[in-house]
Amino acid sequence: MLIPPVKTLALLGLATAVANAAVVTYNWNITYVNTNPDGLMDRRVIGINGQFPPPAINVTLHDTLVINVMNQISEPTTLHAHGLFQTANNQMDGPSMVTQCPIPPGANFTYTIPIEQYGTYWIHGHNKGHYVDGLRAPLIIHNPAETYHYDEEYTLAFADWYHDEHSVLLDEYLSIFNPTGAEPVPKSALINQMLNTQFSFAPGKVYRLRIINMSALAMFHIHIDGHDMDIIEVDGVDVQRTTVKTFPISAAQRYSVLVTAKNTTTHNFLIHGDMDPEMFDTVPGTLQMNITGKIIYDAASPLAPEELIDWGEFDDAALLTPVVPMATTPADSQISLTASFQVMDDYINKATFNDITYVAPKVPTLYTAISMGNLSSDPQVYGTYAHPLVLKHNSWVEIIINNNDAGNHPFHLHGHLFQIVGRGDGVYDGSTPYTYFNTSNPLRRDTVLVPSLTNVAIRFQANNPGVWLFHCHIEWHLQAGLATTIIEAPEAMSGVLTVDRTHLEHCTDLGLPYSGNAAGNQGLDLTGQNVGPNLLPGKFTPKGIVALFFTVLSAVVGLATVIWYAQDDELVPSEEGKETK
Amino acid sequence: MGSLFSLPVFFIILRETTEAAIIVSVLLAFVKQVIVDDAALLRRLKWHIWIGVLIGLVISLIIGGTFIGLWKSLAKNVFQSSEEIWEGTFALIACIMITVMSLAMLKSQELQEKWRGKLGEAMQNANEKRSVRNLSAKYALLILPMITVLREGLEAMIFVGGVSISCRFLSFNLVQADEWFFFALIGFVIYRGGSRLALHRFFIASTCLLLLIAAGLFAKAINAYEMDKWGKIVGGDADDAGSYDPRGNVWALNYGDPNQPENGGWAFFNSILGWMHVASVGTITGYCVYWLVVILTIVFMKIKGNRARAAASQHTYANEKAVEKTEI
Repeated sequence: MLIPPVKTLALLGLATAVANAAVVTYNWNITYVNTNPDGLMDRRVIGINGQFPPPAINVTLHDTLVINVMNQISEPTTLHAHGLFQTANNQMDGPSMVTQCPIPPGANFTYTIPIEQYGTYWIHGHNKGHYVDGLRAPLIIHNPAETYHYDEEYTLAFADWYHDEHSVLLDEYLSIFNPTGAEPVPKSALINQMLNTQFSFAPGKVYRLRIINMSALAMFHIHIDGHDMDIIEVDGVDVQRTTVKTFPISAAQRYSVLVTAKNTTTHNFLIHGDMDPEMFDTVPGTLQMNITGKIIYDAASPLAPEELIDWGEFDDAALLTPVVPMATTPADSQISLTASFQVMDDYINKATFNDITYVAPKVPTLYTAISMGNLSSDPQVYGTYAHPLVLKHNSWVEIIINNNDAGNHPFHLHGHLFQIVGRGDGVYDGSTPYTYFNTSNPLRRDTVLVPSLTNVAIRFQANNPGVWLFHCHIEWHLQAGLATTIIEAPEAMSGVLTVDRTHLEHCTDLGLPYSGNAAGNQGLDLTGQNVGPNLLPGKFTPKGIVALFFTVLSAVVGLATVIWYAQDDELVPSEEGKETK
Repeated sequence: MGSLFSLPVFFIILRETTEAAIIVSVLLAFVKQVIVDDAALLRRLKWHIWIGVLIGLVISLIIGGTFIGLWKSLAKNVFQSSEEIWEGTFALIACIMITVMSLAMLKSQELQEKWRGKLGEAMQNANEKRSVRNLSAKYALLILPMITVLREGLEAMIFVGGVSISCRFLSFNLVQADEWFFFALIGFVIYRGGSRLALHRFFIASTCLLLLIAAGLFAKAINAYEMDKWGKIVGGDADDAGSYDPRGNVWALNYGDPNQPENGGWAFFNSILGWMHVASVGTITGYCVYWLVVILTIVFMKIKGNRARAAASQHTYANEKAVEKTEI
C-alpha cells in the first residue's frame, strides 16, 4: 500500500482551514469490520466508519481537535489521545472509569482537545482491549516551524497482531490455568495495520519517518537496509540529531528519524521491524517475527540484499538529549512503586504495584475527585484498589519505578512528559541515596522502558490538575492490574475542569453512579467498593488447621493400634533379662 | 562411604541384623542346651547353623542386591525424566511394600515366639526317637537359620529400596560388605547386652517408624498424580513454578518447602512423614484413609490371631487328653 507523502496531505488539509487555531473535526463511527489484515486469518476487527485500518489524524499546533464519536460496537468504549497533555482538559483524556464512564453502545461522545504540543502521537481505545482489536491510529501534530528540515515525511506504525479477539485471549490469560502469567503470543506483525507497505524516496532528499509502536505486547527493532537513521524526536520531544543503525521501540513509544535518500536509484530497500522474542512465552516455528516495508527509489530496480544487524544495547536516556533544555528540579516528594507479578488469592496471576493490583472503582476517579469537596485530598475516597496517589498542585514529584519482575515493562504516564533522571539495578530500597544521572538536561518522554530487575527514576511537576493513569502499556498487564491513579491537585480541579452533562448521563445509562467515593457513597463509607484479589496468605487457614489435625489424629491412632497389637501377653517377653548364654 | 547418611535406612538395617543375630544365638543356645552328651554332634549342629546363616546371607545379598540395582536404575530414570506419574507409582509401590512387610513382621513377632516352642518340640522328638538320622530334623538346624537370614536380608533390601524412594535418594549406594559386618556386630552386641523386652520395644518402634514413612509415601504418591494432572492442564513445568491446582487446595505455605535446598529440616519431615507445604483434599484424605486401612488390618489380624490361638489351645488340650488316655 503506497503511502503518499504526508506533507502534501497536510498542506491540503490546512488549505481548507484558518491559518491559526483551526478547529479540525473528525466524525468517527466506531464500527466492527470483517477483514484479514495479515493475510492469514479473516476476523472481526474494530474500525472507523466501516473502514479498516482507521485513518490517521493530522492536526497542527494550536488547533483544536474535535472527534465526534458514535459507538456502533456492542461494548462501551473510549478514546485516549496518547501523549497529549490535556491541560485543564482531563475529562477528555479517555481511560475508562478513570476520567469518564465508557461510551455506551449507540451513544455519542465528543472529544474536544486543544493541541498545545507537536510531534508524533497516536490515538487508541482505552476500555478493555479494544485497541488490540484495531481501534488505534497515528495522531500526527504538525509544527509550522519544525525544528529540523526535511523534504517529505511518512508515518509507519508498527504493531503486533492477533487472530482471536482480545476478550477471548484475555479469558485465557487471566485464568487459574495460567499461573505463570504467560502473555498470549501474537500471530504476526503489521505496519499501519496492513501488509505490503511501501513508500518512495527520491535521490538526495531528506525524509522524516515517524515510527510508532501501537502493539499490545511486542517491542520492535527498527533498521533500514543500506541506510542509517538520525533520531530527531522522542515521544513528541525534539532531540539532538543522533545517528543510529538500529533502535528498539517499546509498546506506545514513538520516534522520528531523518533518513537521507541515496543519490542513485539502482536499488530499492527494506525497512525492518523485528519483534523481540524475549517477552514471548514461546516462539512457534510458524511465527513470522519480522515485518518489512519497501522503500522504492525506482519501481523497476531490484531489492538490495537484506542486512543482518546486531540489536546491541540501547539506552534512550543516555543517548538522546532534548533540543529545548529543561534542567532538573529537586523533588518535593518521592514515591516508590515496585512492580511484580504473582498468583493472588483468586488463584489468577495478577500484576501489582506495591502488592496492590488495580481494580477500577464504581465511580470514575475524576468524578469522585470533583464531587467530594474537601475530602478529595483524602486518598481513601478513591478506593484501595484504584491505588490512588494524591499530589499537591505544582509540587515536583519523583517516582522510582522498581521492576521486580522477569519481564521488561514500558510504563506510561497520562497527561505529562517526565524527565528520566536515573536508572539503577534491582529494587531501590531507599537505604542509600539514589544515584541520579549527571546531566542538566535529561531526556523527557511519556513512555519509558524499565528492563527486568532494574529501576528508573522519573520526575515531573504536578501542574495539570486531573486524574492521570500511570500504567504498564503492555495491554495484558494493564488488564492484570499494573496501574495506579495519580490524583493531581484535587484542590485545584473544580476551578479548572468542567464535566459535560452528557458524560454523566453515560454513567447512568450504564447503571453506574457519577458522583461520590469509589463505592458511590458519601464521605468515607466505602462499603460496596469494587475489591480486588489480595496476596495469598501463605499461612495455615482454618481449613488447613482442620486438615492437619486429622492427619495427626489418624497417625496417632494408627501408631497406638500397632502398640496395642504388640501388647499381647504371649508376645511380650518376660522381664527376665538375659536368658541364654 | 560414598552415600548420604539416612536415618531410616540405618534403622532398618540395624533392626534386620539384630533380628538375625537373635535367631542365630537362640539356635546356638538351644543346641547347646539339648545336646549335652555328644560333643561331635554338637559341633556338627553348630556348623549347620553357621553354614545356614552364610548361605542365607549370600542368597539374600544376591537377590537383594539385584533388586536394589534394578530399583535404583529405574528410579534414576524416573527422576531424570521427571515424570510425576512415574514418581507417584514408585512411591505407591514402595508404600505397599513397606506396609505389607511391616504388618507381616508385626505378625511374625508372634510367630517367632512360636517357633522357639516348635523348635524345642522338634529337638525333644528327635531326642526321644533317638534317631538323629531323621533327615528333616538333622538338617532343620541348617535350613532354619538359612531361611531366617534370607528372609531378614530380603526384608532389609526391600525396605531400603522403598524408604530410599521416600528420601529421594538419587545417589545411594548399596551398603557395603564391611558395613553389613558392622551392623551384624551391633545387632549381636545389642542382643547380648540388652534385655529382650527392650528389643521387643525396639522392634515395635521401628515398625511404627516404617508405617509413618509408608503413610507419607501414600500421600506423596497422590500428590505426584495430582501434580501430573495439573501440569498437563497448565502446560510446562507447573511443579517448578511452585504452582498447584487451586481447586481442592487445603493449605499452601510460604515456608516449609522440602524441595528447597536450604530447608534441611523440612526435607527430613518430608522423608519421614511425607510433609509437604502444599496439601490438597486428595493428599489429606489419602493419608487418613491409609491409616484407617492399617488400623482395620491390624484389628483384623488380632481377631484372627485370637481365634487361632483359641482353636490351638483346644486342640492341644484335646491332644493332652489323648496322650493322657494312651498313657493310662
